[in-house]
Amino acid sequence: MPGDCLPEDLQILWKEMSMSPSTFSPPQLRAELERLNEGKRRKSIVFLAAMGTLIVSFASFFFLFPNTLARTGSVLSVFGLVYWLAQTRMSRARPISEMGDSNCIQFYRAELVRRRDLSRGFPLWSRILLAMPPWIVFNLGFAQLYPNLAPIMWFDCGTIVAVIAFIVPMGLRQARMYQRRIDLLDAFQSRS
Amino acid sequence: MTTSDVGKIEPQEVARSGQDEAYRQAASEYGTALDRLAYAYEADPDRRRDLSQEIHLALWRSFEKFNGQCSIRTWIYRVAHNVATSHVIRQSRWKRNTAAYLTLEEAEAQASRENVEISADRHQTLTRLLALIQGLDLIDRQVILAYLEDLDAESIGEITGLSTANVWTRVHRIKNLLVHQFHKGVRDAR
Repeated sequence: MPGDCLPEDLQILWKEMSMSPSTFSPPQLRAELERLNEGKRRKSIVFLAAMGTLIVSFASFFFLFPNTLARTGSVLSVFGLVYWLAQTRMSRARPISEMGDSNCIQFYRAELVRRRDLSRGFPLWSRILLAMPPWIVFNLGFAQLYPNLAPIMWFDCGTIVAVIAFIVPMGLRQARMYQRRIDLLDAFQSRS
Repeated sequence: MTTSDVGKIEPQEVARSGQDEAYRQAASEYGTALDRLAYAYEADPDRRRDLSQEIHLALWRSFEKFNGQCSIRTWIYRVAHNVATSHVIRQSRWKRNTAAYLTLEEAEAQASRENVEISADRHQTLTRLLALIQGLDLIDRQVILAYLEDLDAESIGEITGLSTANVWTRVHRIKNLLVHQFHKGVRDAR
């Protein structure tokens, strides 16, 4: 039966996969790296500008709105946003240069753990608790100061709650998916 | 398995010739193998081109740090598989179904329920082989890809982190599974 000899043939068969190899010259790769870095820099600037605007806005709200709740909300929001910014910048993927140092299992597991931890537990709850509720506290203070604008503030609070209600289950679902893969990998390693 | 192509580029050569020259040599020696590897990780042609470029870029950048801590071939395959792993994890965030790879045990259980019949022609066989590899969990995929590229069990162990005995066991089981799947594919096609 032809299938009986198939395994011996597999390596030859695999190499029959005809293709002209992708060729990149170092200058091409250097240019591509520059393009990628430029894209990253641009994204980073947009992110930093958005966060910076929010931080400066909440800091100025402290002086603009003389109400205890609004001031508490603005101070906590500044802390929350600074923490969020720091956490985002600290949880970056491994540098490319380390990729050859780790074997595939080590790398795969580390990557799954990193992504799982970002999607659950302290990183998830700290981001949500430090950035979202202070905003609600500020809105409540603002609504006290300007009762005629209160409906807008209630709507804003509702939006924040809806965002939390969306982010948390999504994050936890992602974390469970990563955990399942980590468990499979651990079970696989313990058997070997 | 053959070991004829082990370490054609020496670590000392990398240090001497520099990042660009080391990359040029690696690309000319392993370029086709790296493209086959990209095929096994990504079915979509556009994303595969991106993955292939990402692998080459990572490889070129990695030579900046290579100082002979392992053989050059191990280094190249580790970088390539690790870049591809990141690619697969990233993609699986957006495509729910790619999170559901078959573990070897699940694939075997599924195969054992099928009857064995005849083999297909080589083109179909290759297509099925690729499809089956793309459905395997990442570690099994890495093992079989390294085997298909003629790497010995010890080298596969260095790349993946598995023991040599475990590599052999998995290669044997994956090969049996492939045979079973080929026969199933032919029967289904009829």
